[in-house]
Amino acid sequence: METSHKPSKGKMIASGVIPFLLIIVLAVYIFGPGSDLLDFGVSLPEITIEKVDFVGSEIHVTVRNTGPIPLEVVMADINDRIQPAAIEPDRFLERYETALVRIPFAWNEAEPYIIGLTIEDGTRFEKEVEAAAPALEPSLELFGLFAVIGTYVGIIPVMIGLLWLPFIRRISKSKYHFFLALTVGLLLFLGIDAIEEAIEVSNENLAGSFNGVLLTVTVSVLSFLGLYYVGQKLIDNAQLSGLSKPVAIALMIAIGIGLHNFGEGLAIGAAVGLGSIAFSTFLIVGFALHNTTEGIAIAGPLSKDKTLSKKSLIVKLIGLGLIAGSPAIFGAWVGGFSYSPFSSVIFLAIGAGAIFQVIVVILRMIREEGDKNFSSASVVSGISIGMLVMYLTSILV
Amino acid sequence: MILLLSLTIGLSAIVVFPTFSEAQSEQKTFVTHSGAVIRTTGEVIDPLYTVSTVEFDPMEYLREFNYGHVSELPDGTIVREFTIIAEDDKVMEVSPGVFYNVWTYNGTVPGPTIRATEGDLLKINFINNGSKEHTIHFHGIHPAEMDGVFEAVGPGGGKFVYEFEAGPVGVHPYHCHVMPLEEHIIHGLYGVFIVDPKEGRAPADEMVMVLNGLDTDFDTENNFYAANTIPFYYQHHPIQINTDELIRIYVVNMVEFDPINNFHLHGNLYKYYPTGTDLVPSFYTDMITLSQTERGIMEFEYSYPGKYLFHAHKVEFSEKGWVGIFLVNDNEEQDMEKVDYGN
Repeated sequence: METSHKPSKGKMIASGVIPFLLIIVLAVYIFGPGSDLLDFGVSLPEITIEKVDFVGSEIHVTVRNTGPIPLEVVMADINDRIQPAAIEPDRFLERYETALVRIPFAWNEAEPYIIGLTIEDGTRFEKEVEAAAPALEPSLELFGLFAVIGTYVGIIPVMIGLLWLPFIRRISKSKYHFFLALTVGLLLFLGIDAIEEAIEVSNENLAGSFNGVLLTVTVSVLSFLGLYYVGQKLIDNAQLSGLSKPVAIALMIAIGIGLHNFGEGLAIGAAVGLGSIAFSTFLIVGFALHNTTEGIAIAGPLSKDKTLSKKSLIVKLIGLGLIAGSPAIFGAWVGGFSYSPFSSVIFLAIGAGAIFQVIVVILRMIREEGDKNFSSASVVSGISIGMLVMYLTSILV
Repeated sequence: MILLLSLTIGLSAIVVFPTFSEAQSEQKTFVTHSGAVIRTTGEVIDPLYTVSTVEFDPMEYLREFNYGHVSELPDGTIVREFTIIAEDDKVMEVSPGVFYNVWTYNGTVPGPTIRATEGDLLKINFINNGSKEHTIHFHGIHPAEMDGVFEAVGPGGGKFVYEFEAGPVGVHPYHCHVMPLEEHIIHGLYGVFIVDPKEGRAPADEMVMVLNGLDTDFDTENNFYAANTIPFYYQHHPIQINTDELIRIYVVNMVEFDPINNFHLHGNLYKYYPTGTDLVPSFYTDMITLSQTERGIMEFEYSYPGKYLFHAHKVEFSEKGWVGIFLVNDNEEQDMEKVDYGN
């Protein structure tokens, strides 16, 4: 058997490798050194101003070479008036390399500024800042403040939502399915919202070369698949790890929601960091309100587990609440102290993937317990009302 | 879980990575115009005070007048012969680090300052070594066929001889007049043509200033403004003049896109002769407004030594390069004369 297989195995490897080698040869022929096949057209240099910070009596500009060729940043201006500046580490930027441009400037708080950078061929790129606000200095006080905001937005509302557990336990199956469907509706809205937000951030702040939409979709799908795979393993091995199946599902939902809440914390931290204080107040109130529904989502599957003792249930509830809620704190720290549009897009997309994974898990739960379809009145009305509620609250926020 | 963990680590590495590029090296310091001292481990990018290493020398251009190859006709008419070569492939560093495709007469923007006396016969041998059609269109009085509009001179060595009598008295621009005209002007095909009165003007420290703009990114807005092409040049290289000495500036506005330009002098007023056609000044002012190709002659003397700014009072222009400094030195010779007169 072995010997008769050997030649065919070699053939198999060869048949797999040869097309691959041909692709390499093709690539070398087209792009390799000395090739002038594609040497036509004009490569236009491009830079993207990713971040503007107002620090003391300076304006700090983070710039990235987002074009196809290396370039030099040679001049800075503010409101189209040339300013002396320093550039660190140096003015030569390879593809995707970043540099920090420090422009000494006595800026005024809350005034709009247009920051311009000129490269060696004389092309000027600009970015408008709607209102100058001092950059957040990482301090223990601010650190604490973000922790409090994160707790208020993440942990407390989720815990409140979890308090519905006894209520959900007592209601009939169809009403229970209604609540599960309601969370699906809420989450569906949030998932789409996160995708939209990620695309918006990438459109406004990321260069075209990052392919913002595809970046968002790719990361979301990866996040979804990763969590889906891990979640399934967790549920399959529930017995081994000493968790009951409902608890394992609840844990998966909590992790998914936690990743989503990290994105929310990021948004709040960034909003405070960018100086839009009124906006962040709205964000905080809005997120706090709708995060209570996330508690319901976790409580749903947990209510199926009638075996848990009261004490162990309470411990589990607190644990799940922390898993789902506390990432908001970390998100606020990251968003407030080291905001970068690229990482925001990544985190928002991960959050979106996590949400969709939670949706799939809940839907499967409904399907398995129900009549193997989603056409019951409780499911349809639950999802519809969930989305409507979110849409209406989003208008308020 | 491991998958999730590695995903998180990988992503956070991507996110944190950009901060690694801020490598440490030796510190540099620079002082801004508002007096702030900035320390940096990086490079200073400062067209305002960086001493330019640009190839065109505005200081040389400032006081350079070309009288041509002089000969005399039997009837006593002075003939001045010039050769002007147009090119359009030169890339010049116009401000520190900024490179721009200039179109030039005799290799510079502005082209050479041509100077003659009223009534002289001018003979300008024009050679077009560029890749596009070019001409020279002189402002002034001349026959239609010498106007440089309908006689496009072909690229790659095309020739034309412009012949006309110098006049009227004053300061005039010359420029290429091939369509699209704006393109040919903003790239630099222009220069100054001075016609002196037969009786001459009072001796003075004379200079030429062409007020121009550079649209380096072709968005029909000027990225730079200057007196004599290089932004901020006379700010980091002040023009040295003397007290109690007559200064005469032939100023020509060649700025495109912006409807007007202006010229403000600090610590002094000047006599202004619009277009230089009259020998009696029309204004005594420190501020003139100039439309496209509007020009004139300014005359002034400084009584007190020191540094005096001159700039566009359209401040946008001055903050994008159209600003300079007169460094007025104590004129000891004149003082001596005064002392002598006193005796």
